[in-house]
Amino acid sequence: MPTVIVTQSSGHVVQVRLVAGVTTETTSAKAAVKAAPNPIAPETKEIAWAAGSFIVLLVVMRYFLFPKLKKGMDDRYASVRSDSEGADRVRADANADVAEYEKALAAVRAEAAGRVDAARQTVDNERNAQLAQVNGRIAAARADADQKNAAAREAAQGDVASAVATVASRVAEIALGKAPDASVVSAAVASAMEGSRS
Amino acid sequence: MIALEFPEINSILRWKDLFPTFNKIALIAVLAAVISITIFMLALRQDHRQAPKGIRNLAEVIVEFIEDGVVMQTMGKEGLPWTPFLMTMFLFIYLCNVPGIIPFFQMPATARMAVPLFLALMVWVIYNVVGIKHQGVLGYFKSTLFPPGVPKALYILVTPIEFISAIIVRPFSLAVRLFANMMAGHILLVTFALLSEALFQAKDKILIPVGILPFFMLIFLTSFEVLVAFLQAYIFAMLTAVYIGGAAHPEH
Repeated sequence: MPTVIVTQSSGHVVQVRLVAGVTTETTSAKAAVKAAPNPIAPETKEIAWAAGSFIVLLVVMRYFLFPKLKKGMDDRYASVRSDSEGADRVRADANADVAEYEKALAAVRAEAAGRVDAARQTVDNERNAQLAQVNGRIAAARADADQKNAAAREAAQGDVASAVATVASRVAEIALGKAPDASVVSAAVASAMEGSRS
Repeated sequence: MIALEFPEINSILRWKDLFPTFNKIALIAVLAAVISITIFMLALRQDHRQAPKGIRNLAEVIVEFIEDGVVMQTMGKEGLPWTPFLMTMFLFIYLCNVPGIIPFFQMPATARMAVPLFLALMVWVIYNVVGIKHQGVLGYFKSTLFPPGVPKALYILVTPIEFISAIIVRPFSLAVRLFANMMAGHILLVTFALLSEALFQAKDKILIPVGILPFFMLIFLTSFEVLVAFLQAYIFAMLTAVYIGGAAHPEH
């Protein structure tokens, strides 16, 4: 069976050949296609190497590398967690200490305030007592002075009445020629002094 | 005219042996294991009592990411013993994905079906074993094939669907999701790299500036592959955790 072979080269030259039989070429092309392996088909040697590599990696990872790495990670996490918990404990202790300190401070302040109040009370009491004592002394001194004044006034009045009675008796004796009754003069003088005082 | 010849698909996916039975895919798989082990061994050399920094910080971030982002989200506290397995899986897949954008490697090992297929089959075996161990053979298949709360008449329809989806399709979808994403990314990078090269070296000078467009696309896709490498590893680990958790505690 005749076959047409069309060849196109880069120089735009198209060759057309009519050949009687290309049986040999066709057969060899078919053989080449048949000989070419399926590009998708897996090769045994590749499966073997892949499987070997993976299994070795899996065994080393599963039984040696991963457990060691994971243990290190877990130890560090545990250590960090423990440190964190320790820090929390220290913080809680510090907070408790601060609270206790503030409580003690409040107690000391309350006690100090109580003592100040007590001292103020004592001072007030002492002041009041001393004030009362001084007032008593002043009142006694004033009463004593009043008494002395009254006595002095009494004495002075007696002296004045006596002098007035003496003068009045002399004046009456000079005027009447005889000495009046001393008791009458004294009563008259006393009456006159009383009237002038009122 | 551009002299662009896209290479035959096998030439960008299959690699010659560096030595008998050991090709670039095998090298990447071995390096993924060696790098993971090295990271953790270096991390273990640091004092664990101090705040982690450098490589120890990286190792601890990976552990916590798997614990908080995968295990606790899907399996809860009971799933924590699965952390080393899921972490190994995540690391291995990620380190097999990343070489797709690393110069000289430029090939994700997961873009070959061998790696995802092995991992998916292993996950399939594990979650079935876990299911049988926790619920017994009958209990496991009953909870898988006869989901509670479904009217009995519907089991005629639901049970075959559940059998196909949970027993047959699940490992296949798990493998294909990873493989197809990584292979598609790899082919896209190759395509735009070849197109950029062809345009920059075009004989027709007017085409040379046009080469900037696929070149920018190449840069964008390379950045995108960084995200895809992580995302696919995360999705694989997450789905593994979901399947194992579901097999162990179907009521969840």
